[in-house]
Amino acid sequence: MLLEKPAKMAKRNKLEIIRDVLRIIQEHREIKPTPLLRRSNISSSRFKEYYSELLEKEFLKETYGKNKKITLTDKGQKYLEKYQTIINFIDEFEL
Amino acid sequence: MTGRAITGMGQGLGKFMTLGIGTEIIYSFVIIVCSLMIYFGTRELYNLTKHKGIKYFRLSFLFFALAYFFRSFIKIILFYFDIREIRLLLPVFGSVTLFIFMYFSAIAIFYLLYSVMWKKWKSKLTIYIFHLSALIISTTVLLFITSLVYFTINLLLLIFIIFTVYTAYHQSKKKKSYNLYIIYLMLFIFWIFNIIDILVPSLLQTFQLFIYLFSLGIFLLIFYNVIRKTG
Repeated sequence: MLLEKPAKMAKRNKLEIIRDVLRIIQEHREIKPTPLLRRSNISSSRFKEYYSELLEKEFLKETYGKNKKITLTDKGQKYLEKYQTIINFIDEFEL
Repeated sequence: MTGRAITGMGQGLGKFMTLGIGTEIIYSFVIIVCSLMIYFGTRELYNLTKHKGIKYFRLSFLFFALAYFFRSFIKIILFYFDIREIRLLLPVFGSVTLFIFMYFSAIAIFYLLYSVMWKKWKSKLTIYIFHLSALIISTTVLLFITSLVYFTINLLLLIFIIFTVYTAYHQSKKKKSYNLYIIYLMLFIFWIFNIIDILVPSLLQTFQLFIYLFSLGIFLLIFYNVIRKTG
């Protein structure tokens, strides 16, 4: 008897990955890089790319206390607030 | 009904359909404002995402606004001096204005098409090809002052547009987007009428009111959809 393959998770696009990473930070308020990588569910090389891009875009910032922690900036918060509007707009005009 | 009566009716209809400078200014003003509001209204979405589709969508409306500005400028000069061609009155200045109008018109069309096709047209050369094509179109319009050349250019542009819109629709996963592609197609067709109206002013004079109303309707519809989605 053939076993049914487990349903694959749909491939996330760039905007969705950014949303997921930012949501994890938002939920934790501040988070260390390693747990963020683990929860993001992307490879470490891709995580590095996204991480530098998000730092560059000022969506998140690093704080240095005892350990390095990552927190969300106002711009990152704005992205999460506007995410559905962005998706609706892209969808409407097939961009 | 006599022949004279029919001719009279035709002239009357022609007079009614031929629009004055006030209408021209209002028409251009509404479309420029709509286009600029689309451009500035989508700025935040673009700044947050740097999404390529949003980038070319909003840039195309910036170029539509610029093209309409130069279009109305040409129209005002034609009205004011009661001439058929801007180049007859101001050879250098007129040619430069016409060149800029044609360049922005072509780029606006190319950018709007690219905003829906950028995922398919991945080559980095695409944008350069568009600018080069726009330059060739504008230069040809300046060098060859014949209606045949103008029609050929616009016909080629129209064929390219229809082919691209059809391909985009065919490849679209969402068949609900049918309305969007119809709106885009109408926008392009009526934009080409607007170009012909500048290049060969006497040709579409009878249908000017219809062209203006339809063009306004299309721009207002796109503007309404943008406002509805961006809030």
